[in-house]
Amino acid sequence: MRQIITFASALTVGTFLTAPFVAASAAEAARAVIPAEREEYARVPMPANIHVEYTVFFNHASTTERGMTLYYWPHTTMRNGVTGDPKNQSHCTNEKTTHTAGLMSPYPPGLELPELDKRKSCAEVWQPYIAADDAKSVGAFGLITRQDGRKQWTYDEHALYTNYLDQVPGDVRAATTGNFGVDGPAAREVASAPSAIPPGFLVYTTVTGRQLLTDKNFSVYTSDKDGPNKSNCDASCTKTWTPVTAPASAQAQGDWSIFERTPGVRQWAFRKKPLYTYVLDSQIRSYEGSDVAGWHNAYVQKAPAMPAEFTIQDSITGVVLADSKARTIYIYNCADDSVDQLACDQVDSPQAYRLAICGGGKVERCLHDWPYVVASASAKSLNRTWQVLDINPKTGHLAKAGEESLRVWAYRGQPVYTNAHDEMPGDLYGHGNGEFSASRNGFRAFIIRDEFGR
Amino acid sequence: MKSMKVWSIGSAGAAMLLASSAMTPASADALNIPGLQNGTIGFVLTSSAWGLYQTPDGKAECPEGFNEGPREQFKALYPNGGTVEGTQLERESASRYPMDKEDNFAYREVKGAVGIGMNLDGKVGANDFTSPEGVKGVDNQLYRAIGCTRLFRGPDGTYAHFTEMWVREMGFNRVLVELTGVDSLENDPQVDVTLYRGKDKLITDASGANIIAGGSNRIEDRFSKRFTKTLKGKIENGVLITEPTDVDWVWSVFYDHPGYYGIKQARLQLNLAPAGDRAEGMIAGYTTIDTFYQQLVRAWSTHHSSYGGLSQPSLFRALHRLADGIPDEKGAMTALSSSIQVKFVQSFIEHPDAKVAAVESTSRPIVEPARR
Repeated sequence: MRQIITFASALTVGTFLTAPFVAASAAEAARAVIPAEREEYARVPMPANIHVEYTVFFNHASTTERGMTLYYWPHTTMRNGVTGDPKNQSHCTNEKTTHTAGLMSPYPPGLELPELDKRKSCAEVWQPYIAADDAKSVGAFGLITRQDGRKQWTYDEHALYTNYLDQVPGDVRAATTGNFGVDGPAAREVASAPSAIPPGFLVYTTVTGRQLLTDKNFSVYTSDKDGPNKSNCDASCTKTWTPVTAPASAQAQGDWSIFERTPGVRQWAFRKKPLYTYVLDSQIRSYEGSDVAGWHNAYVQKAPAMPAEFTIQDSITGVVLADSKARTIYIYNCADDSVDQLACDQVDSPQAYRLAICGGGKVERCLHDWPYVVASASAKSLNRTWQVLDINPKTGHLAKAGEESLRVWAYRGQPVYTNAHDEMPGDLYGHGNGEFSASRNGFRAFIIRDEFGR
Repeated sequence: MKSMKVWSIGSAGAAMLLASSAMTPASADALNIPGLQNGTIGFVLTSSAWGLYQTPDGKAECPEGFNEGPREQFKALYPNGGTVEGTQLERESASRYPMDKEDNFAYREVKGAVGIGMNLDGKVGANDFTSPEGVKGVDNQLYRAIGCTRLFRGPDGTYAHFTEMWVREMGFNRVLVELTGVDSLENDPQVDVTLYRGKDKLITDASGANIIAGGSNRIEDRFSKRFTKTLKGKIENGVLITEPTDVDWVWSVFYDHPGYYGIKQARLQLNLAPAGDRAEGMIAGYTTIDTFYQQLVRAWSTHHSSYGGLSQPSLFRALHRLADGIPDEKGAMTALSSSIQVKFVQSFIEHPDAKVAAVESTSRPIVEPARR
């Protein structure tokens, strides 16, 4: 399970502003304010050059410490082979790959990759986090020697990298947004600090925030009727809402407190709000309890605000994000089939992958069938998660000076889309359209609440 | 109906059947059928499979053999490989925009005379099948289109195997059928049949393999409105038959990937077990090409289609070539006659008694825009 509190390097922001991407203005960075309620992390030994940055959901910036998120690349079994870094090795090099590896079925290996003249090497995209010659291992942070003789930091025996997409502290733009199982790319993971939660709980990343669960994956709820460290859930109430009890050995820590609801029965509270599970939840990670007035799923951190002009709609699979006209919003996801498994869903990526899915290779048809979500004239970037970009609709890249441009909404740096075939609010005509049900090259609906997926 | 399956019942069931057949069907509750209360009985779906008639070696229905799939077509088109854009992405484009380029691959359709389904148009035509029980005029052009593609053929075609399994395992596919106004499970000239989507798991016996009757299932009424539909029906000789009605049949065919089939003029035909614990039969009607093909493209990737010789671009042409129902304004057929074989067990259906509150997922209010 990914923890969203990330270890970060002490490199400066300026190092990365040369990336051919959206330059993060100082104003934008300033808006990335640490929320009052944020997840706590457990302190672990670490080198002086590595510290911890808070990120809200996938994207947040520190105001007091600067640093870029560190990632690692787990050794991953694909459909037709294995890629990623074995422990204490780095397979991400400066050698530019030119052909597919055939890791995914059914296409054979050896197909020439698009736009080779612009293609980056793995190490240009995933920059090895190089250590000083005299660096020493600390705790779980170790060192390996790369082929060129330089030292590279590791965490838990995984080689560490930064990514060129991250531009301000707290960015985690290179982290995958979805769990695509065996058919997704061999994704890089965020090197995470352990979450500071008591035994018996878990935290799970969702698009709405870091959701608090029991260690059995059942949702944890709070009630508006309760007081600080005081439950008003009586005997009748507890037939439906089960207090989350604390064992005798449990102790309060940080945001976590324990109160005695009846003599000898200790109940957990988070930020002074008593915690419960819901008897009628029909599945793990449920939201059903929050359909009861006055009850809420518990989060350790909420996701950043979304554009005010967006709407929320019910669909046949749950709740989806929609534009101002109630059209379901989709995110495009892509990774190539090279041994490096590089992203092809960014605004500076080759657009051939997207165009094949959205229009059979035809730009005009893409613009018709999968229109960008155009931002209103007054819209401004909200935070590092939701931003307004100027896109050249013909190229799919950021518009250059003097080019035709369209102001569109982007999620974590990637434009979002609607589908022309969606006719009614909540329609999902475009969901899963792409290779491997859009796990590798295609469009997925922005699902806020998946009601049936477990 | 004589063409339907004859139930195998034990001595107790036989005694009940004899007793019920001798009764005037005035008071269903008096039949002592546990699942039938106040003239209402519910069922939950446990199995679905497209109605494909198969012989063991397939030679009777597919004398030309089975279809070739993406791997074979890729090899034929690009024997020397090429660029990602010129090969892989070309094929992915072809699945989504199949009419952009010619498809010269042979496509094998069902040629046999036997098919599973109903006579939807009341005629006996040249393209109609005869049911295994000898009923003529069976309309099932979808069978003709997909019956010679191994992916769809049971029991081990991957689509056939998994889509049947996911009916049981995935909550997305929980179909409930509730019969109300029931006076008798043997003969009743008028009953209402309402389709719902449920929200609870199926109950199995101790082995975990067999779904048992007598459980309960709550109606999911927030995200499932399009799947709720009431049909007019009747029961004749223990067979429930409904009048043709357009339905959206919820059936995600790839894990929980949201999907359904639009079935026009759908009718349900179910053998009701005398004890009221099971129901088995089919739903037949005209399945729209759009909902069939689009779910296939979205859910069954080229990789997964390769396991069973399914070329989506080739199938797309076959679906349009064989379509026999629901003409559009230009007269082109937009749907194919079809049948889905279904099995149910009895379940007590719980209706919602409380209105749900707004979604908790975000701090902003839900906007109710005008319908577009």
